[in-house]
Amino acid sequence: MRLPAVRLVRLSRIPYTELLALQERWLRRLQAEPGTEAGALLLCEPAGPVYTSGLRGGLTPEETARLRALGAEVRTTGRGGLATFHGPGQLLCHPVLDLRRLGLRLRTHVAALEACAVRLCEFQGLSGARARPPPYTGVWLGERKVCAIGVRCGRHITSHGLALNCSTDLVWFDHIVPCGLVGTGVTSLSEELQRHVTVDEVIPPFLEAFKETYKCTLISEDSSN
Amino acid sequence: MALRAVRSVRAAACSLRVASAPAAPCLMRPWGLRAGAVPTLGTGSTLLSVLGISNFAQEALGDVVYCSLPEVGTKLNKQDEFGALESVKAASELNSPLSGEVTEINEALAENPGLVNKSCYEDGWLIKIALSDPSELDELMSKEAYEKYIKSIEG
Repeated sequence: MRLPAVRLVRLSRIPYTELLALQERWLRRLQAEPGTEAGALLLCEPAGPVYTSGLRGGLTPEETARLRALGAEVRTTGRGGLATFHGPGQLLCHPVLDLRRLGLRLRTHVAALEACAVRLCEFQGLSGARARPPPYTGVWLGERKVCAIGVRCGRHITSHGLALNCSTDLVWFDHIVPCGLVGTGVTSLSEELQRHVTVDEVIPPFLEAFKETYKCTLISEDSSN
Repeated sequence: MALRAVRSVRAAACSLRVASAPAAPCLMRPWGLRAGAVPTLGTGSTLLSVLGISNFAQEALGDVVYCSLPEVGTKLNKQDEFGALESVKAASELNSPLSGEVTEINEALAENPGLVNKSCYEDGWLIKIALSDPSELDELMSKEAYEKYIKSIEG
């Protein structure tokens, strides 16, 4: 049986709003003609610091003002999860997928995102990475979160996804309660491996982990299906 | 309509259902809402539908931690998104199977979103709408057809 083909849309450093605009275009494309494509894997590194909140919120107006004063953007989104940070040094992955084409439920998609990040950590030589049950959804190394997850699903099409800290400046996380989890910490691959790990370095093994986990192939954005 | 949906939908990510008055029919559609038409009390002949999610859907979602619902008075067209439910860091959109105006929302869900899981057919109802086009009810799946459909996709 032929594996479903997901289009790889590999972007370089782009502003977060540009990623959201592209995500929106893919969402509309997949929702307009349901069942015709498996979807697209959007990958980028945020060009600047941005804090985001989810469907439930996660940032008060006071916090928002304070964060903007630090020089960061603040955006609301319709994804699950509370507040988090995106910025340079972070791999931001938004799979816009048709769950039915990939034989997935929403919960298994969330579990698959976690599995990708765990596998990626293993490829990088970190064997202790694990996913944790709600409300600790995400991927952890000890008591520190290395990968945050928050997704949205409408008419079987997913959006948003995961944010994996490669060489993110973790100080940005000090200004929020990440994902609303008081008392937990954050980490990055660079922090754990004690060397500079770039987003570019991490992308090839991440793509392997993605294909393995989602049981799909990755094709270029423009190739005919 | 229901037949085409059955052919094209492989896995129902969100199956909504509607609790209805005993006398009213219980209709469902594959991924979507089960609407029961209940004649409103008082004057006029407006049909009122109560929308919620099915047991299949609440199991698929996992523990609901938040319900985002529309304001009373919101006018919905069939297939419009009217809110979302959050579970396991995932927000699932709710799409209306029927056109009408939102007359009531379940305020209990603000404090107790888990009602959607615990009692999807009763206390976990989501919204009530006054139908603008009752003929849309004919396009929904019956309960039996829905259950048969779920069995067929579950394997």
